Amino acid sequence: MLNTPAWAPAAKGRAHGAAGFAILAVAALAFLTGCSGGTGQSVSTAVKDSSSAVATARIALRQDMEGKLTRAAASTTLDDELKEVHTSRSTVLKLSPASQEDRDLQKQALDVLDQCAAGFATARAALATSDGGSPSLSDGDKALAGAQDALKQLEGKVGDK
Amino acid sequence: MKRLLGVALGILTAIGGFVDIGDLVTNAVVGSRFGLSLVWVVVVGVVGIILFANMSGRVAAVSGRATFEVIRERLGPRAGLANLAASFLINLMTVTAEIGGVALALQLASSVYYLLWIPVAAVAVWLVIWRVRFSIMENVTGLLGLTLVIFAVAVFLLKPDWGSLAGQVLAPSVPQQETAWSYSYYAIALFGAAMTPYEVFFFSSGAVEEKWGVKDLAQSRINVLVGFPLGGLLSISIAICAALVLLPAGISVTSLSQVILPVAEGAGKLGLAFVLVGIVAATFGAALETTLSSGYTLAQFFGWSWGKFRRPAEAARFHLSMIVCLLVGIGVLATGVDPVLVTEYSVVFSAIALPLTYLPILIVANDPQYMHEHVNGRAVNALGMVYLVIILVASLAAIPLMIVTGAGS
Repeated sequence: MLNTPAWAPAAKGRAHGAAGFAILAVAALAFLTGCSGGTGQSVSTAVKDSSSAVATARIALRQDMEGKLTRAAASTTLDDELKEVHTSRSTVLKLSPASQEDRDLQKQALDVLDQCAAGFATARAALATSDGGSPSLSDGDKALAGAQDALKQLEGKVGDK
Repeated sequence: MKRLLGVALGILTAIGGFVDIGDLVTNAVVGSRFGLSLVWVVVVGVVGIILFANMSGRVAAVSGRATFEVIRERLGPRAGLANLAASFLINLMTVTAEIGGVALALQLASSVYYLLWIPVAAVAVWLVIWRVRFSIMENVTGLLGLTLVIFAVAVFLLKPDWGSLAGQVLAPSVPQQETAWSYSYYAIALFGAAMTPYEVFFFSSGAVEEKWGVKDLAQSRINVLVGFPLGGLLSISIAICAALVLLPAGISVTSLSQVILPVAEGAGKLGLAFVLVGIVAATFGAALETTLSSGYTLAQFFGWSWGKFRRPAEAARFHLSMIVCLLVGIGVLATGVDPVLVTEYSVVFSAIALPLTYLPILIVANDPQYMHEHVNGRAVNALGMVYLVIILVASLAAIPLMIVTGAGS
């Protein structure tokens, strides 16, 4: 009942052309969507993403302390958010700032993102410590809270520019 | 009584099967960034998928043939090829995203790294497609997917300010920290998530698998008209949960682990268990549907023997093509690409390719040669034309918006 395909060679050629165009278009799209603005904008985005990651980690940690979240879900959440901070750090690290002001901003951002990563290390160690030893979950939360404050300050600074 | 049970089961599986990784991620992202100001898009998307699925289900029931077969025959191989290329590539992206979703949900349950779960999930999908009967496959995943109702329960447990929520829904506006461009981009993503083409191909091919006839049209209509809107409410619950817990904390959703936090906040560990079962079932069910849809589209276009109602040996190319799709999905995920990112792109590309799948179905549903007296009525056609315009606008605007917003970032 169903017709079998009867393509002409020209139609095949067009199909290949269309496929090539589609690949090119996707590559161009990936390039264009990956493009970003200057140092300030990149730092701003990195700080926002990291703030979101730290806030998520703090909620997961609090829920774990309150017995609302399983250890598996809490540690997965922390791993996911640490990855987000790493991505932000890598973005900032790869910037090529043109002015002294931008170089200072990059350095400040890297310091704050390092503080975030350290906060995550404490929080993850706290989750892995099941014998009530150190660091505790509240130590992890404190470390993340410190990182969150530093991010807020930097966010304000970037926003002022 | 048996018929009533059949209708109830159909509705329940339609609700449970409505949500997939695209709906989970996109609704959570939108809720965490835009609150409830984009709920209207879910409503538009649900009406669209009802219209779309209803037409393709009717085409299958009346003609006894799946939509893709009819499209190819009615519009010729060239139009069919454009349709095939668009649908198949998006299906492949969606297969990849759904398998990644299963793996991410299993990681949340076990803390075993998701990349290790990917081959397990893919083999499980293949085994179910190979061995399990179509109706059992559909009903079990659909019913287990109903546990996602926990999102709606969590909304009540979180004790929201209902007035404020209603205000956001009824007077939608672009939040201060967002731009009109990103608002429009996510509107299209949400629309694409609700109207994913694979759902329609699966629905119409499923009608052939289950040997629907004209007498089954009423039941199919009820499933769609009742099940899909309730599924849409589930989607909105996901957005509300994110708007209540994540938005005030300044969290933009980028991972599946963030999507479950509002449920844990409201319903604790029991809620967490429900949501994890629901996510695994929903993504696994959708992985089955998208894998099958990939096989359906290819087989129906090339005229291969297809269907789960046939033994695998009698539909060898159909089964082989699905195995290849699963292997491609595994290969893509093995590169370490983020499944959530794949999901975000897949819903937008769904919107981009939607005219290619929607228009042929609209044409065939109006062709008396295939549909006899069951062609679209005036009201359906009027709505169909309105949606054709919406779909075209969304499709044309998606790529420029993707570039302007840096894919929504």
